[in-house]
Order: sequence, then C-alpha cells, then structure tokens
Amino acid sequence: MKRTLLILATGLLATTLANSLWFSLRAPAQPSDNPNDLSWLKSELHLDELQYARICEIHRSSSPRIAALAAQVSRMKTELEAFESTRRTTGQIDFLEFARFVEMRRAVDRECIDSTRHLVQASAETMTPDQRARYLEMVAPLMNLPQPAN
Amino acid sequence: MDNTPDPLDPLLDKWMPPPPTPRQLRAEVWRRIAVVEAEDEAPSLWERIEATFHRPSFAITFVAACMLAGLFIAELRVSQVHSRRNAQFATSYLSLIDPMLADARTAASIEAPKLP
Repeated sequence: MKRTLLILATGLLATTLANSLWFSLRAPAQPSDNPNDLSWLKSELHLDELQYARICEIHRSSSPRIAALAAQVSRMKTELEAFESTRRTTGQIDFLEFARFVEMRRAVDRECIDSTRHLVQASAETMTPDQRARYLEMVAPLMNLPQPAN
Repeated sequence: MDNTPDPLDPLLDKWMPPPPTPRQLRAEVWRRIAVVEAEDEAPSLWERIEATFHRPSFAITFVAACMLAGLFIAELRVSQVHSRRNAQFATSYLSLIDPMLADARTAASIEAPKLP
C-alpha cells in the first residue's frame, strides 16, 4: 500500500518537475516593451546581422513619413467625426467641403498604401527567398489591401 | 385374500420414478465448486494494482512515463505561448509599418527602430 502510494507520488512529482523545468528552459523570452524593437523579426526570420542592420535602417528612415501619415490619418478621422456631428445637429452638410475632404482622404490612403508597400518591398529585397516568403506571409493582410478608388 | 383397497394404492399410483441423473453430475458439481472457490480466492483490483506496482520494472517505467508526460505538457504550453506572442508581435509590427493601423497615440510615439 505504502509503496504503491509512494510510486504514484513520485510519478506526480516527476511530471510536475519535468513540466516546470522544461517550460522555464524553453519558454520564449519576455517581449520588449518597445513596439519599434525589430529583434523579434530577426529571430523569427533568422536574419543575419547585416540583414538586420539593413532592415532596421529601412524602418528607421521610413518612420518619420509613417508617423506623419499616421498623424494625418488621425486628423482626418477627427475631421470626419466633425462632419458627422454637424450633419446630426444641423441636418446640413457643406458638400463642397466634404468632397474636398473625400479627395484628400483618398490621397492620404493612397500615400499610406504606397508607403507601406515601399517599406515591405525594400525590406523583402534584403532577404533570402525563404525569409521573404515568410515575411510576405506575415504582412499579407497589408499587402492584400485594395487600391483606393481614384 | 383381502380385497379391501389399500389407502396407499392411489399414492403409489401417483408416484413417478425420479428423472435419470445426468451422466456427469459429479464432474459438474466439482466444476461449480471449483469456480466458486476460485472467485473467493481471486485478488481484488487494488490487490492486482499493488502487485503490479511492486514490480520494480513497472515502477521505473511508470515514473519515466510520468516524466515524459510532464515534458510533453510543457512543450504544448511553450508552443501555445510562442504562437500567442508571435501573433502579438505580428500585429504590433503591422501597426508599426502601416499608418492606417496606427492610431493617433501610436503615431505620436513612433520613433526610429532600435539599431543593433
């Protein structure tokens, strides 16, 4: 009786210990808090130092434009909300102003898509075919975006 | 000769000879006795488990199997954590490179990626 229970307890202990040890050895490292840290991309795509440096440089040089475009997108969202608010309160809308807004929005959307495609293309060019395939698979949701209507 | 009816006669008329005994009655009786005795002597489930655990080879195999099960569960957990983290990174990366996905707060905080 005692021996059986002892063996069962040893088995349970072995399971727990093996589980904890293996998990602590193999668990991925804590993610960086910095959203601009591309080291994840390096490990995920197995980039070498040269490729990584080049990709970081491409992203670094694109970031001011992306930031400017993101700010513009944000401003346009606010502007659209203002249009909607005016329409609700007064029941009227300045069509000329709205047409100008729509035109501007299309231009910004087009610029955003161009910017993203350019960045992805430039990054992909530094990669081997396998890395490129994985990278393009990863950014596929962005690459499948339809072109904005002119 | 006395012809008065004997009261036993109707009873004797009703009497039937007993059915013939099966040929292997004795063997059948002993077989059943053996079965009942065997049931009494059969070890219970717990006794059988104990007997199995008392074998050193089984005990070692059992502990090793438990260890392997622990490793397997840990590997499943690692895999889950890894795929969840990858999904988070991928989403974060997409919002880093696509101005339309980045909200105003992100846009304000976008800075140069860390160089190696």
